[in-house]
Amino acid sequence: MRYLAALLMMAPAFAQAPAAPANTGQTAAAAQAPAAANPAPAGEEWFTGGIDFGYRFRTNLGGSGPTYQSIVDLGAGPRLIGFDFVVQDPKKRLFDRLVARGSNWGDPYNTAHVDVSKRGIYDLRFDYSNILYYNGLPSFANPIAPGGVDEQWFDVHRRNTSLDLTLFPNRRIVPYLAFSRNSGSGTGISTFDQGATDTFPVASVFRDSAYNFRGGLRFELNRLHVTLEQGGTTFRDDDSAFGATSTPGDRTTTLMGQTLQLNGLLQAYGIRAHSVYSKALLTANPFSWLNVYGQFLFSEPKTDVSYQDAATGNFVLLSSLLFYSGQLDNAVGSANKPHVSGNAGLEARPFRRLRILASWTTDRFHDAAYSSLAAAFLTQTASSLNTTTVLPDTQTVNYSRTQTDLFFDVTKKLTLRGGYRYEWGAATVRSGDTSQIGALESGKLNRQVAIAGINFRPIQKLTTNVEYEGASTTHAYFTTSLYNYNRVRARARYQVGASLMVQANFALLDNQNPVPGTQLDFRSRDNSLAVNWTPNGGKRVALMAEYDRATLRSSIDYLLPPFLTPSVSSYSDNAHIATSMVDVNIPGFKGNAAKLTAGGSFTVTNGTRPSRFYTPLARLSVPAGKHVYWNTEWRYYGFNEQLYQYEGFRTHLFQTGLRLSR
Amino acid sequence: MHWRLPSANDGHPPRPSGARRAVLPAAAMLLAATLWGAKVKPSAPAPIVPATVDKPAEYAGSETCQMCHEDIFNAFRKNPHHEVETNKKYKFDTKACESCHGPGSKHAESTSAADIRNPAKLKPADADRACLGCHLNRPTQVGRINGSHAKNEVACVSCHSVHKNGPNGLVARKAAEVNQLCAGCHTDVWASFQQPFRHRLPEGAMSCVDCHNPHGSFLAHNVQTAQANEPGCFKCHGDKAGPFPFEHAPVRLDGCAACHLPHGSSNPRMLTRSDVRFVCMECHSNLPTPTAAANPALGSVPPAFHDLRAPQFRECTTCHQKVHGSYVDRGLLR
Repeated sequence: MRYLAALLMMAPAFAQAPAAPANTGQTAAAAQAPAAANPAPAGEEWFTGGIDFGYRFRTNLGGSGPTYQSIVDLGAGPRLIGFDFVVQDPKKRLFDRLVARGSNWGDPYNTAHVDVSKRGIYDLRFDYSNILYYNGLPSFANPIAPGGVDEQWFDVHRRNTSLDLTLFPNRRIVPYLAFSRNSGSGTGISTFDQGATDTFPVASVFRDSAYNFRGGLRFELNRLHVTLEQGGTTFRDDDSAFGATSTPGDRTTTLMGQTLQLNGLLQAYGIRAHSVYSKALLTANPFSWLNVYGQFLFSEPKTDVSYQDAATGNFVLLSSLLFYSGQLDNAVGSANKPHVSGNAGLEARPFRRLRILASWTTDRFHDAAYSSLAAAFLTQTASSLNTTTVLPDTQTVNYSRTQTDLFFDVTKKLTLRGGYRYEWGAATVRSGDTSQIGALESGKLNRQVAIAGINFRPIQKLTTNVEYEGASTTHAYFTTSLYNYNRVRARARYQVGASLMVQANFALLDNQNPVPGTQLDFRSRDNSLAVNWTPNGGKRVALMAEYDRATLRSSIDYLLPPFLTPSVSSYSDNAHIATSMVDVNIPGFKGNAAKLTAGGSFTVTNGTRPSRFYTPLARLSVPAGKHVYWNTEWRYYGFNEQLYQYEGFRTHLFQTGLRLSR
Repeated sequence: MHWRLPSANDGHPPRPSGARRAVLPAAAMLLAATLWGAKVKPSAPAPIVPATVDKPAEYAGSETCQMCHEDIFNAFRKNPHHEVETNKKYKFDTKACESCHGPGSKHAESTSAADIRNPAKLKPADADRACLGCHLNRPTQVGRINGSHAKNEVACVSCHSVHKNGPNGLVARKAAEVNQLCAGCHTDVWASFQQPFRHRLPEGAMSCVDCHNPHGSFLAHNVQTAQANEPGCFKCHGDKAGPFPFEHAPVRLDGCAACHLPHGSSNPRMLTRSDVRFVCMECHSNLPTPTAAANPALGSVPPAFHDLRAPQFRECTTCHQKVHGSYVDRGLLR
């Protein structure tokens, strides 16, 4: 980020507007030059943009702090709310144009983007994001964990950085290079597991990073384009966990008169992975009535595993009723997953009213792996029991899909669509330890889908679109997968007048799996209505309002442990979601207008996990000078769960600051 | 009166129709459709360039357009498309306006809207042809054939502003603006993001195109790809990418959406069910039985024998914490 800051600071120096008196002739010449050749026509500012900064206050948080952090996580303090600027170099020395923007610096999620380009020479893009993943919901893990510790808690930053450079040495060949990095680091609480007997919450440190390098060539001809790309990744994961104090774990009772406990733990993962991948992309229009598309993608990631743990305490090996005081584990492993994907298709217009889209896709991979675990158990009599387990693992998946769509223009305003999709595949995966059907199990996919659609534009201001899919499945991979389903999507948009636009959406998915023992019955429905009202072009008032009603219900048979009693898992979620925003411009500020914005979103869900989530806001932006705006904002966050009252929270946020712009 | 749609392919000799039909799949369907189509009264197809019996329209040059449309002309000068005006590569130098609007001499004479092509009023597929005349042969479009936008006739100009002036060129670039643009049509999806557990889109920390490729992808739902052919989810969640010595099959076979609602949910961690155990149990109840042949779904790992009434067993991932795949343990415990 320091290099980015330096780059941003240097950029204006290279793009300083020439001093007027010394370059009068030059400026005049530039003004007379054909405007077409200049991306920054004479008279245009070489620097435009603005910066938003301020301070945020937060009232005392009512309710659950961890839940607030998990959902909102906005704090108090100074903030760089955002910046965006464009620098145009009239002399085009290092660049023609530099665009930079960023947002939310000081908040748990911040971004930056820089785009530098010199026409016909290069295009350089930089992206950065830093997003905090905090999750510590008491209801998510064991609600009565010792000391109230949430075993599934984590506080991790995920950072993404990418840099893309595209060069334009000539009109036909475009080389490019790119680099990206994704990393995660933070702390949390995970579990050290002792089989079904006990689990112990332990402090964890998460640390992983992935680097991606790629480069390629684009060949862009009039009727053909080919992209060839070669890339590679490296990945490392050095997560660790430790426990230094005695903990009894989740078990609340003694086992054969003994209390199980963890006195100390050191656990370390050393994961190293790398991958090479290749891409070949093709588009072509060999004839005026035919476009052809194709892509071939191959990757082969490999992982090498090194894992150690050392634990002391009082544990039990239930299979041999052996109580022991220490455990040492050492594991090595490897996984290799060649992955091939291909896609080809065409778009043909054989006749004036008919358009055909046809495509074929395949996606195939297998994961060949093994893991060797050596374990030593130290008993209270100082003797030891050593075991070594070598486990192979495999996963093979072949998936294919073909689809053809026909579009027929019945009239200029009405287009009908009909299509057919066939999906098939086979998968072989490892079965569970206690499986009764052997080490491997196989599944199939066989699905036929009929597709229909209508695009109707009776008048210029009204567009409607309906899409239907109906599927018949004989084999699916999982009991919860799509099986025999009907899916409908409908959209209509009507521009009532110059200032009013209304849009309605409807979506339905009905999925049934009648197989005995499954009996999946799933139905989701979504209706939404949106209105945009901008009288007089929104000069004084602009209103956006939307209401969404989403319902979901699902039931499926399952076996309830411990006696595997046939039961039904029922789930429902009925949501009312309303969002609205109204902007009011208030004139009378020396030619400028103040702007008042009010609105927010309101979510009410009923069903299996009823909740309320309110986020109203109001914002006032007042011009304080030619290039200065004073911004003030109020927000409220309120969350309530009917079944988990202790997870609710409420707070007010006030933010005030300035926007300086040029 | 004859109508034709000019495109970047104009000027190339048309292929014989017999040859076309020979290479096309589903010839029978085409024939049926054609016969049906032939009966339909040709009711004013795309009003592109009227090739009247008298003098056909000719290219007039952008300066001619400027005389009446100066505001558009000035804005267009700062638009990336202005390169068409200056770069001979596109073969429309000094007549960029007419690269999309077609020859404009008749319109310049009559000033009638009927004498010029207005892509905004064309059928989406026809409007797209004007764009794809130049933009088809780019990597951006390679997934177009699979994209739902192309299949639902969402035209390029629905998102891209051809004339617009501004630093961001033809389409929204800031995350908040991208989201606003997408939400303009996908109102139901945007509503999902108002739920408490969601990706950080309403805060502007992410945008829809971070996960979806609006031009199309070979993955379902226009999902972006990472590392050639992996789901784009792994761009950010690299620690879930594997490969793992012990994979959890649904992650690879059905993807993240098997257990998560990525747009938003009222359930923690965007799960499809309110309690973790039901996410797991709904699959892990497929015990092999005498009816196994009729129910060949994967997931024959029995649901253990834990007493789910005990708080410590209510959330399976408390112990089976490596649910996305484990480097060490077959039971996904560590």
